[in-house]
Amino acid sequence: MVDEGFDLPACLGRVRERDQVAARELVEHLYPLVIRIVRSHLPRRVAEEDLAQEIFLKMFTRLDQYKGAVAFSHWVSRIAVTTCIDQLRAQKRRPEYRWADLSEKEAEVLDQVLTSEGDVAANDALAARELVYKLLGQLKVEDRLVIRLLDLEQRSVAEISELTGWNPSLVKVRAFRARGKLKKLFQELERKERS
Amino acid sequence: MKDFESQWQRLVAAARQAPVADEAAAPYGFATRVAARAMSEPPPGAAALFGRFSVRALYLACLLTLTGAAANYFVLAGTEDNEQNLIDPVSEVFTNAS
Repeated sequence: MVDEGFDLPACLGRVRERDQVAARELVEHLYPLVIRIVRSHLPRRVAEEDLAQEIFLKMFTRLDQYKGAVAFSHWVSRIAVTTCIDQLRAQKRRPEYRWADLSEKEAEVLDQVLTSEGDVAANDALAARELVYKLLGQLKVEDRLVIRLLDLEQRSVAEISELTGWNPSLVKVRAFRARGKLKKLFQELERKERS
Repeated sequence: MKDFESQWQRLVAAARQAPVADEAAAPYGFATRVAARAMSEPPPGAAALFGRFSVRALYLACLLTLTGAAANYFVLAGTEDNEQNLIDPVSEVFTNAS
C-alpha cells in the first residue's frame, strides 16, 4: 500500500486546513490498506465500499485526535478494525453447519484434515479458506477476529493487542476460548459425518 | 486438544495459500466522493467542543436547579405558617368596629 513518494505529514497538514484535494489524495493513499482490512474481516463482502467509506469518514472526523504517537497507517488500521467489529456485531451469527451444508470440495478438505496427517493440497486452498470462514462464522465476533488475526494473518498477540485495544491477556483468553469452540465444531462435524 | 490443534493448523495453513484479491486503487470516484463528504461536514473540533460544552452546561443547569430547590425548600415549607401569622386587616377592622 505504501507509496514511497507520498508526503504524508504535508498531506495531513493540508487536510486539517480543509483541503479537499489533499483529502482525496489521502483516501487514495490509504485505500489499499483499508480495503484489505475490510475484506479480511468481512468475508461476506457486505457493502465493503460502504464500510470503507465509513472508516474514512471516521478517520477525517477524528483527525484532530491523531498526535503522531504511532504510525498514521497503524492509527487508521485500528479505526478500520474497530469499525469492522461494530459491523460484524450487527450481523447475525450464521446457522450451525452440518456436513451436508459444506460444498463437495470443502467436505473433501475437512475429511482430509480430520483423517490424515498430510498437508492439504495447494489446489484446495480456496476450499480450505471458505471452510475456515464458515467455521469462524460460528464464533463470537471478538473470538473470530482474534483467530483470524492469529492464525490467518499470523499476527502476534502484541500486534493484535495494539490493533484492537484489548490487553494481551484478553487476547490470549479469547484465542483459547475460540479454539475450544472450534474443537467442538470439528468434533460435531466429524460425528455428523460418521452418523 | 493436540489432535485438533494439528488439524486446525493444517487447515489454516492451506487457507493462507488461497490467493487474495488485491486491488491497489480505489474505485473510480470513491476518493472524490469521500473527500467531498468529509470536507463538507463542519469541522469536527467545533462540533466536539459544542457537544462537550452542551453536556457541561446541562450538568451545571441540573446542579443549579437542585441547589435552588434545596435553598427554597425551607422558604416554601414555611409558607403555610407565615400565611397563618399574617395580620388580616379586614378582620381587624371588623373587630375594632364591634
